[in-house]
Amino acid sequence: MKELQELAHKLLSDGTVKVVIGYEEGPRGVRPAFITDAAQAGTLIFDKRCVQNLAAYLNPRRKQITQLGKAAIVVKGCDARSVAGLIREKQVERDNLVIIAVRCGGVLESPEADRELTSETVSVRCAGCVDREPKLYDYLTGEVLPEPPVNTRRTEQIAELEKMSPADRWKFWTGELSRCIRCHACREACPMCFCVQCTAEKTQPQWIDPSPTPRGNRAWQTMRVLHQAGRCVDCLECERACPEHIPLGLLARYVADSVERRFEYTASEDPSVRAPLGVFRNDDGEEFIR
Amino acid sequence: MTQRFLSNAGLAALVTELVAAHTRVIAPARASDDPEQIDYVSIHKLEDAAIGVRLPRRSLKELFLPPSEVLLYYRQTKDGVEIREVPTKAPPQVILGATPCDVAGLEVVDKVMGWDYRDELWFGRREATTIVSVLCTVMDSTCFCTAVGLGPDSFRGSDVLLVPVTGGYLAHVITPKGEALLQGHGADASEAMQAEATAAQDEARKKVEPNLATIPAELSGWLAKNFDNPVWKTIALRCHGCGACAAVCPTCHCFDIVDEHEGADEGTRRRNWDSCQTEKFTLHASGHNPRQTQSERFRQRIQHKFSIYPSRFGEILCTGCGRCSRSCPGGMDLPKIVGELIAMSQAEPEVKNQ
Repeated sequence: MKELQELAHKLLSDGTVKVVIGYEEGPRGVRPAFITDAAQAGTLIFDKRCVQNLAAYLNPRRKQITQLGKAAIVVKGCDARSVAGLIREKQVERDNLVIIAVRCGGVLESPEADRELTSETVSVRCAGCVDREPKLYDYLTGEVLPEPPVNTRRTEQIAELEKMSPADRWKFWTGELSRCIRCHACREACPMCFCVQCTAEKTQPQWIDPSPTPRGNRAWQTMRVLHQAGRCVDCLECERACPEHIPLGLLARYVADSVERRFEYTASEDPSVRAPLGVFRNDDGEEFIR
Repeated sequence: MTQRFLSNAGLAALVTELVAAHTRVIAPARASDDPEQIDYVSIHKLEDAAIGVRLPRRSLKELFLPPSEVLLYYRQTKDGVEIREVPTKAPPQVILGATPCDVAGLEVVDKVMGWDYRDELWFGRREATTIVSVLCTVMDSTCFCTAVGLGPDSFRGSDVLLVPVTGGYLAHVITPKGEALLQGHGADASEAMQAEATAAQDEARKKVEPNLATIPAELSGWLAKNFDNPVWKTIALRCHGCGACAAVCPTCHCFDIVDEHEGADEGTRRRNWDSCQTEKFTLHASGHNPRQTQSERFRQRIQHKFSIYPSRFGEILCTGCGRCSRSCPGGMDLPKIVGELIAMSQAEPEVKNQ
């Protein structure tokens, strides 16, 4: 922790950055922190409650942050993959960002309560993590932590879905998505949703019904998750934001798994690696075109 | 106003009687997707309800202003446009076991719904509804109902307020609607019961009062004068602008009206919830947006709730239910933020005097 605080202090006081985006203690557990004064660097923390993917604040739509000036950001390995995505897709300039990576021992499902990491309390996103020691960084901090327990809930849910007939799967998702009120909180909280105009809001033509109807909801969430294919890092910000508690992370994970299977690709921590949605390859299967 | 004792069995009998008479009864119950969460849903018997377990994750708002509803159907003809309106009279319903903050929210929103135009759909449902609230004992650190002039035992908007006492509830019967509902039900409340209820009400208030001191009336004027205060640039840095706060808020009531055209000549006009926290809310057709950043959009949320609405309607557009803080993925905390603004507003005159 001291290492992190001293580094933030140095970066702010020598003028390298104008803001350090990290974590601090808030009224309800850990919350995102935006340190602009070196004297405040001592409030920065990192522990297993640091659930949030702070890369969301690098999204150029967060103008209140981008206008502060050059930033340093605290990232876990998984979050670093979001940062890489934003660099790859030309939303963030690598030279205009200082990445402070932290070694991670897994995070809880919620940033609120400080609980022991168990197979029930650990986030489903930590299962199978290979990024506990981030690779994309300017500074790597923190001690090497033991591997966290594995929460198998999500993989079990995926297995259940795979076993279903397409008709049952359709019924399952229609049911879940029937709760969607089309507030678009999922999109707004997402690090990777940075389109200036979202397809959901195009009116000429109107691709997607604007009202929360079963057809419109299915179209909206299907479009969003397909647009996230190979870009989503399973940070679950969408699921945490959803006021209707729809398991959006499950949908995203399902697509991420499909991309991995079909294209041998997971959202990479290397910004120079090209993602399936942004590349044309002659050896693509294209078995769906007949 | 009168007090009456309603035993647990008596309340169960009341529910059964209402359901038998085809009155819809809505109460907090375990959510179908997550038994740890509570939703307001239709119940068939009292055992279906989970009253006083925890604050329902969504407010009562959606029962009166649904996330999406049809306003009218239209058809273009040779001679003009044919309009088919939707019924504005609603069937009778009873809400049982709602928290006082949620109930008060309805009365707060009545002001804007009946302002320059009387919203027939809103008031159709309001008039058809009898509300039985229950003393709130499920507050947490984000609650601040007492700071906005309400409380865990507030009567505001309720026809009856139930206070749990030994063997059942002490019912404060507040309105003629409440009298009508309880006609033939309950017994006289003894003095001991009344004392037990008063003690429970006092205890509940004490649990929430420390979260935020009463919001001073002067805050409204201070906010209006401090539209350009630099605090707005830093107070909402962590806000993603997702608007989840508005969706769960019992008093946020903004909506968008859309015409959904089907085929060549007909369609449906609907209204859907909207939120000032999103970029598109104020985007002009020209491309200009008067609220360019989240700082300005969050300022709007605070100004509307704590200055604009009070100056227009004489009351705060917030019931202190704490849902916005609980649902925020960015960790924004409304009682802390309002507390900071109050402190700033009170510090100012002293600075001038020095």
